[in-house]
Amino acid sequence: MKLIVFLLCLFAGSAFGQLAWSTTEQTFNSKQQDKEVVAKYKFTNTGAKPIKIENVRTSCGCTTAALSKTDYAPGESGEIEAKFTFSGRTGKQEKAIMVTTSADPQAPTVLKLHVNIQEPIKIEPEFVLWQVGETADPKDIHIAIAEDAPVKIVSVTSDNPAMKVKLTEVKPGKEYEARVTPDSVAQPAAATLIIRTDYPPDNPQTKFAYARIK
Amino acid sequence: MGGPVRQAMVILLAALIPASLTAAFHPRRPAWSQEILAPGEETLPTALAWGESVLWVDARSADEYGVEHVPGAILLNMEGWDALFPKFLDRWNPGKKIVVYCSAATCELSREVAERLRKNGISSVFVLKGGWEAWKSRK
Repeated sequence: MKLIVFLLCLFAGSAFGQLAWSTTEQTFNSKQQDKEVVAKYKFTNTGAKPIKIENVRTSCGCTTAALSKTDYAPGESGEIEAKFTFSGRTGKQEKAIMVTTSADPQAPTVLKLHVNIQEPIKIEPEFVLWQVGETADPKDIHIAIAEDAPVKIVSVTSDNPAMKVKLTEVKPGKEYEARVTPDSVAQPAAATLIIRTDYPPDNPQTKFAYARIK
Repeated sequence: MGGPVRQAMVILLAALIPASLTAAFHPRRPAWSQEILAPGEETLPTALAWGESVLWVDARSADEYGVEHVPGAILLNMEGWDALFPKFLDRWNPGKKIVVYCSAATCELSREVAERLRKNGISSVFVLKGGWEAWKSRK
């Protein structure tokens, strides 16, 4: 079966003079401490003519793609190394790398990189809003801790005494509610809510949420 | 036999003249080709027509923003979100339309920023079709 697939790839490459890719799509699940993922896309020039990789573009500035050389003789193999830096991104991410070769400059190959970035602390929403003149009802910010994340919320404080915040543990160690209540909504006001954690122990992370009266 | 055909041709020709004039000069004539927009995307002419009610958001890097940006645009990107989001909140007002752009039509940064703003309950967030390139090449 593998031989048939290999021969089909070989034939396809020869027929169209394109690079044969070992895979064009990869999926990663990030771990707690990860800041980036590196994916390698291997290819072989299965055609009868040399192929030049003319251009490698990525769909996002957060992704870089490195290529050791651009010209590949028939039968020669190489790889493109794509590095995706998370930079605050969380959840499911899909990035694309477009590879243009001399074999078919009009039809670039699209390599896909799927990454599930674990979000140890999820804050929703990141800000609460009151419009001037509305009732000063409390508004809640939900804080969720990922299943296997060893994180606890230590405290939530407001930098504006006129906007009170109260932290409640909904599910021990896993879910919290920060209830924000303004003293008055007669005037515009702003507050930063400082969410302190106990992780990592040597330099505990601080997260932020915001409250505005506009 | 020739009579009815000739009459039909005359009627068609007579209808064609006002139809052509309408298609060429009517102020509310339909566009010849409708620009295809992705969900949440808007064109530059539409965004410009919104005038002062728009808050422009630059989702590119701080370096690119520093070189040049849409006049009045505020910097907000995923890399610097924690520091930039409160500044955005200070400039934003409910009722303002937000138009987010990044460097080119193919870049995803503006979509990411727009999506995160929407998740925070901020409505009327649009991605500029064509991005900064569209702004630079405007006439």
